[in-house]
Amino acid sequence: MTLEAWSQLWPKVPVLLQGLVVNLELLAGLLSLGLVIGVAVALVEVYAPRPFRALALAYEWFFRGVPELVLLFLFYFGPSQFGVDISAFLAAVLALGFRSSAYQSQIFRGAIQAISPGQSLAARSLGMSRLGVIRHVILPQALRLSLAGWSNEFSSVLKDTTLAYGIGVVEVMRQARYLTARNFPLALPAFIVVALMFLILTYAGNWGIGLLERRLRVPGLEARG
Amino acid sequence: MGALAMGQPKYVVLCDIAWAPFEWVSAKGAYLGFDLDVMRAIAILEGYEIEIRDTPFDSIIPAVIAGKGDIGASGFTINEERAQVVDFSEPYWTSDQAIVTRAGAGLDVAGALAAGRKVGAQRGTTGAGWVEEHYPDVTLVLYETYPEAVLDLLAGRLDAVVQDVDPSKQAVAQYPGLLEIAGIIETGEQFGFLVAKGDPKGILPLLSSGMAKLKDSGAWDLLVSAYFGPGLEEIEAAWEASIDILLVEKDVLKFAQTFAALVAE
Repeated sequence: MTLEAWSQLWPKVPVLLQGLVVNLELLAGLLSLGLVIGVAVALVEVYAPRPFRALALAYEWFFRGVPELVLLFLFYFGPSQFGVDISAFLAAVLALGFRSSAYQSQIFRGAIQAISPGQSLAARSLGMSRLGVIRHVILPQALRLSLAGWSNEFSSVLKDTTLAYGIGVVEVMRQARYLTARNFPLALPAFIVVALMFLILTYAGNWGIGLLERRLRVPGLEARG
Repeated sequence: MGALAMGQPKYVVLCDIAWAPFEWVSAKGAYLGFDLDVMRAIAILEGYEIEIRDTPFDSIIPAVIAGKGDIGASGFTINEERAQVVDFSEPYWTSDQAIVTRAGAGLDVAGALAAGRKVGAQRGTTGAGWVEEHYPDVTLVLYETYPEAVLDLLAGRLDAVVQDVDPSKQAVAQYPGLLEIAGIIETGEQFGFLVAKGDPKGILPLLSSGMAKLKDSGAWDLLVSAYFGPGLEEIEAAWEASIDILLVEKDVLKFAQTFAALVAE
């Protein structure tokens, strides 16, 4: 790795950043999908009648049990067997999003179960409906509690977005490969820069989530009591 | 690229764009290379639109089978195994395999492939298959891309890398004094473009007629002279100065003439 390689790489950093934007788009898509479905699955696992609970557990078991790359290929190649053409980007958002929802559901389920049952009983005795209790008493506390676990999931899926290059999404790894295919000596510097980008993003993201956690903290609130 | 002309069919061309000079991404981010320009030229000559989609090499044939793309154009060697699952155009290129070693290693072909040697190749390529079949005593190490194999060769973890002649020459040119071609094995492999089995969309006749037109007009030989030989920088500069003749004016022969003349300068 020579100084020359670094000086050749420097002007290419914007190209890598372009790729990184695609990773961030993937991240935004998969985290939102994972959040919505994750909360729903957690609620079903805690509150729904047994048959629904079994379905949610099966869903979680599948998406936590299949390797990410396999999921990516299933979602990319699978739908075309039924005549549905799905873009590589959408396939990646769906595959990684469903997978993340399975992990996120565990974070939320744990947080929901950490809220003392006494609170539910108290709210019910004041005349709140069951849904009202979940919405106004349980979830506002549970979502705050999940932030710590959620920051872990954020760091994990942020890096998983690079796997999308396996099905042809032109994200930062793919851009790095374009650079090295054209100019082999750039390989090491390019991957070092990509690594730095992810280190910075992970730090910034976790810092943001930590800030949110402190902002949303309710003084005096305890998880069990 | 240009507006979609009414009534023209559109085909998706799949290509692993990391294999100069057949396909690579220019410093400015454009997809260029021999395969891609031939695809663009044939599309103009035969009156259809194409969309070039970058896809990892391993995934191109599965994608064509699954209907996620119509044409595979990525330096595919025609072989029986592949011909069982996809249909090939007539051959458009003949390639041999080159053995690349570190400069000064003093290895010839026999030495580089002697028992116990560590030899690298790209996964899913005919070079990899060829080593496996003919040299079972070497340790074959497979890589996702060709550049990764070359890096391991430079790092001393491999004794040699097997790859098609033209990309091998490009690799040696990128590391002056560090790599050399120990020898060339005349495998005489032929490259073809590929489509889904049975050619349900009737693309092969278009490819065949387009290739004949390119060869008759002389554009084919001009493209070959432009892409095979010069350094990538020279090719990119000439290509960027002339590609609008192909994409905007849609004049295939004038593009090939201008491109080849600029490269030769």
